[in-house]
Amino acid sequence: MGGLHGVSTRRAAVTLAAGSGGRAFGIKCKCIVMADAGKASKQNQSKTFQCKNLHDYLKTLPASTLDRLYNHPTTCLAVYRELPEIGRHYVIRILFVEQPVPQAVVASWLSQENSKEHNEVTKVLKELQVWQEAPIPGGLPGWILNPIFKKNCRMALLGGGRANCIQSQLDADSKPRDIPFLDQYATERWECVLHYMVGSQQQEGISADAVRLLLHARLMKRDEEDGSPVITREGFQFLLMDTAQQVWHFILQYLDTVQEHNLDLVECLTFLFQLSFSTLGKDYSTQGMSEAMLKFLQHLREFGLVYQRKRKGGRFYPTRLALNIAAGQTSAPGDIERVGYIVVETNYRVYAYTDSNLQVALVALFCEMMYRFPNLAVGILTRDSVRQALRSGITAEQMINFLRLHAHPRMVANGPPVLPPTVVDQIKLWENERDRFNFSEGVLYSQFLSQQDFQVLRDHAQDQGVLIWQNERQRTMVVTKGGHDDVKRFWKRYNRGND
Amino acid sequence: MAGPKKFKKDNDSKKWKKRKKEDDDDYYDDDTNDGMDGDGVPDAAKKNAEAAEGAGVLEDEFGAKDYRPQMDLKQDHGSRPLWVAPNGHIFLESFSPVYKHAHDFLIAISEPVCRPEHIHEYKLTAYSLYAAVSVGLQTHDIVEYLKRLSKTTVPEGIIEFIKLCTLSYGKVKLVLKHNRYFVESPFPEVLQKMLKDPVVQQCRLRRSAEGEGEGEENVDANGFITAVNDKKNVPQFGGAAPAGPSSEQQPTGPDASQGQEKEGEPVPEDITTFYDKIDKEEEDEDEAVLKTVSFEVNQEKIEILQKRCIELEHPLLAEYDFRNDTVNPDINIDLKPSAVLRPYQEKSLRKMFGNGRARSGVIVLPCGAGKSLVGVTACCTVRKRALVLCNSGVSVEQWKQQFKMWSTADDSMICRFTSEAKDKPMGCGVLVTTYSMITHTQKRSWEAEQTMKWLQEQEWGIMVLDEVHTIPAKMFRRVLTIVQSHCKLGLTATLLREDDKIADLNFLIGPKLYEANWLELQKRGFIARVQCAEVWCPMTPEFYREYLLCKTSKKLLLYVMNPSKFRATQFLIRYHERRGDKTIVFSDNVFALKHYAIKMNKPYIHGPTSQNERIQILQNFKFNPKVNTIFVSKVADTSFDLPEANVLIQISSHGGSRRQEAQRLGRILRAKKGAIAEEYNAFFYTLVSQDTLEMSYSRKRQRFLINQGYAYKVITRLAGMEDESDLFYGTREDQGQLLQQVLAANDMDAEEERVPGENPQRPGSRRVGNMSSMSGGDDAVYHEYRKAYLASIKHPLFKKFRS
Repeated sequence: MGGLHGVSTRRAAVTLAAGSGGRAFGIKCKCIVMADAGKASKQNQSKTFQCKNLHDYLKTLPASTLDRLYNHPTTCLAVYRELPEIGRHYVIRILFVEQPVPQAVVASWLSQENSKEHNEVTKVLKELQVWQEAPIPGGLPGWILNPIFKKNCRMALLGGGRANCIQSQLDADSKPRDIPFLDQYATERWECVLHYMVGSQQQEGISADAVRLLLHARLMKRDEEDGSPVITREGFQFLLMDTAQQVWHFILQYLDTVQEHNLDLVECLTFLFQLSFSTLGKDYSTQGMSEAMLKFLQHLREFGLVYQRKRKGGRFYPTRLALNIAAGQTSAPGDIERVGYIVVETNYRVYAYTDSNLQVALVALFCEMMYRFPNLAVGILTRDSVRQALRSGITAEQMINFLRLHAHPRMVANGPPVLPPTVVDQIKLWENERDRFNFSEGVLYSQFLSQQDFQVLRDHAQDQGVLIWQNERQRTMVVTKGGHDDVKRFWKRYNRGND
Repeated sequence: MAGPKKFKKDNDSKKWKKRKKEDDDDYYDDDTNDGMDGDGVPDAAKKNAEAAEGAGVLEDEFGAKDYRPQMDLKQDHGSRPLWVAPNGHIFLESFSPVYKHAHDFLIAISEPVCRPEHIHEYKLTAYSLYAAVSVGLQTHDIVEYLKRLSKTTVPEGIIEFIKLCTLSYGKVKLVLKHNRYFVESPFPEVLQKMLKDPVVQQCRLRRSAEGEGEGEENVDANGFITAVNDKKNVPQFGGAAPAGPSSEQQPTGPDASQGQEKEGEPVPEDITTFYDKIDKEEEDEDEAVLKTVSFEVNQEKIEILQKRCIELEHPLLAEYDFRNDTVNPDINIDLKPSAVLRPYQEKSLRKMFGNGRARSGVIVLPCGAGKSLVGVTACCTVRKRALVLCNSGVSVEQWKQQFKMWSTADDSMICRFTSEAKDKPMGCGVLVTTYSMITHTQKRSWEAEQTMKWLQEQEWGIMVLDEVHTIPAKMFRRVLTIVQSHCKLGLTATLLREDDKIADLNFLIGPKLYEANWLELQKRGFIARVQCAEVWCPMTPEFYREYLLCKTSKKLLLYVMNPSKFRATQFLIRYHERRGDKTIVFSDNVFALKHYAIKMNKPYIHGPTSQNERIQILQNFKFNPKVNTIFVSKVADTSFDLPEANVLIQISSHGGSRRQEAQRLGRILRAKKGAIAEEYNAFFYTLVSQDTLEMSYSRKRQRFLINQGYAYKVITRLAGMEDESDLFYGTREDQGQLLQQVLAANDMDAEEERVPGENPQRPGSRRVGNMSSMSGGDDAVYHEYRKAYLASIKHPLFKKFRS
């Protein structure tokens, strides 16, 4: 026989990409074929931290839960408010139509070029159980709004039905709280949680429930030695998000655990949505709230979402944190205004005007810290420090956003751009340089008995355009997975011909 | 004062030094000036503020040095601009309302580390304090003003350090008056102390009482000559505005103490009043009647005396009282009325001529900011015979042009002395020559011999040293022994060397008198606004394979000749030619230079190019609209004045040399016309081959400019390059051929060019790199080649004394 049959091992061929992802002129390098695409992307997911928005979260809920949620007009309004623009358009158009609308008709509302958006929106609406497929008497497929959603959405828009379940206080508060106070309170409470996470000593502790929640969310984990909670990678990434995102993520994790507290998920969610429609600076009554809801309120109080002077005072003020809750990832314009404290220089120096351990800890996540003065911390962005951060799963985007979000007013005044573009580019380049391998799935052919055999097969593969890599000296070659069958067949034929 | 105390200090300093060593290892890289040699530097100068911070510095949980326990924040910290770290680093907010005050002060007492947009960093060093003292600041004022500007309390260690470095400095001056040398001091006790030293005593020259007609001098009991200096006017330069009226000077004494209490205003009053005081002092130092004592020194023993004084921790400041110099004839040279000094030029000169005398020192201005005008003005102010030293024949011509442009000097007064042009020196006022001409040791032509003789016999009023950072101490010392001059002015753009020998200049020439802020000059339009970019050129797979396999010397050639780089260069040249820009392409590697230039059909200049051809090419580049791009090797790094060029492409460079990077940037820094229209009006591209050594070199090179506030944009893909179909080396075959050529090149081609022009041993014959290395005398090239060599010589100035 004229040589061993081709396939001896299977493995992925790895080639070094000649260029890394371009930043400055905006071209990104693409992976050709991912050998273990599934595995790789899963790894990525576990590393970079996902913050779901409202839709992503609701999608995960079972249909029955969603239906129960839609029983409340406020929820419907919240969901409606967060729909993409086209989605809102569709819903409002068929809100008062009682019979199914043909899908073709709905599609015709948008011009052909935008069919992509259309498809996306129909998918979202379906996933959220806002509408359902229903056949039209002629047999054509149609859309009809979820009847519960329809009913309550109308009610939200037109009024009527049972009143808002949070009632405003009838008698005026003897010591009313103004908005700046509430903002300050909310910030303080929330930072308490963050401070606890970075383990700084300068604050009061947080409740055992909150600690349990941090552990549950994997933002912290028990130290292997003494069992005390320590911050995790995810925790660091969490810290770099802006406050609204943090709160939303935190609340989502909380909702995961409500059953443990004997709370009803739907009830809690509804309450949250109601809170998000309340007015800042106004006080509300706890009258008529169930025992469970009062407990929930206490938890919200701890994180600064609501303010209560006394536990049993019978009144509470929602804070900005609660108001922004449903906005999720879309950054809320009403976020608590904070003065930025970070100066980033073109020479990669980072100056943080702060004495807060929390803020320094955040900067230190991706900077090498040099000096601490009473009101200033000096650090420098280096390749090593950024890579360290990247290794722990923080993305370049997160770092840049963080710096931008907290930029010193001086930087903002000089902007835009707020940050020196070269520094931003460099951070991205540092991220990209970690990602320069292109994976091409392929089949390895090796151990040819003669040079001629090798050349024949290689030339064939090359002609077919399926050759990925070859080395003449070692007589090895890799062909694409798609080309493998053809090359194998050719090889068999060739061998037979030689015999 | 008392013996034991002094002794204790010394002890301390030893301890500090030890600690410093430990600190340095983990903390410092090479861009500080700490690594100085022990000889010939006063003890105090060897001290390091770094060490002053003491052992008690804690690290916080993030690995930063935690200075919080050592300082308290002042109540009104918002209106004060700076932090002083116990290790001598000072951080300054550039957006503070008192920035201007603080900046002027800091530039006088410390070295700028980095000066980007918002927060500047300075560093206190012994040298910087020495410079501060020599321009007339007092210890007390420095400490007091620093305290006021600081947001926090100033650490004890720093105050201690300032006192240590400044108390003994600047107390004694070496003055040349009526062609006799005097050691002068306003503090009689210091002179007494010095005279107790036997060596100093030997150097002293006692004249008999009947003397040669110096009757007006009073000799006191100790034999000191006392003199009263009264009002002298600060010289005024060209069309510059006179210094502020002095009559408004307020009684500053009481303010100093009461100012502390006033707080909460945007600009604390104590800062402004104190600033005014210091500002005035600098300018009107001599308005106050100053009583000084002095003794005369034997001229032959000046050097012994200087050395001894340094050992005694009283380094002599050299000053030249050119107005009272009656022996040397005045030359008839003045600034033209059209020569108007820019504010920073005026400021730097005011530091030099601050008290009516000429101080020796170094002025640091970016290239293109008008260093020559400063030099010309200095010569016109002194109005004595002037010697200008520069480092190439081309810049000799350029200096002559500058003199003719700014001053009333005509051809007969300016004499060039180079291997090509030898004008008659006799009777001229200004002599322009190169370092290598002066230090030439081999046989000269008869004509040159005569000129040298004449030159040595002269007593020069002022010596201007252009690009002073490039000359090694050894050569410099030789210049000093050959030429007698009263005052030395060093000019440079980048006071840094990779080997940190720059510190020597402090004692060879004098302290740094002024250093300009690049970013500020750029903002005010005095220099061009440059967009710096680093273009990443991917290595083609074939080249990269060879790169990984071959030995080191070839690697350079491979990454320089990378086809992607060639294509990028070609693309950029075309792009800018279409815009109507003038482009210079730099390559240190001659093989690449020739290949690129010939392939693209552009003129090129490198070492062997004759003077005539050079001038012709440069003239064409300037005036011929068809010649828009030239290729040059490192011979054009310094002092090629090409005002038209606004694009610079660097395809190969000398390792990680920060100075070269800055020098090259300087080629396109001269302010451009129509500067306001566009955001950037000059472009600086560095092309690097990805994944090769070049990347790390390039990062290193950029540090200096980044610290000056420049930002490098990284370009990984040139937009529009695909549209250019006819770029060279597009096909595999062409690239393969190029690779073959590169592999066939011999090792010598792979080396960088050495510039023989600066080599004193062989000035006439210029050969390509390989030969010069055999001569073993590459004195003036960048240091990497001579590391071992330099290590073996220590402070050449004082070598003589060691034996």
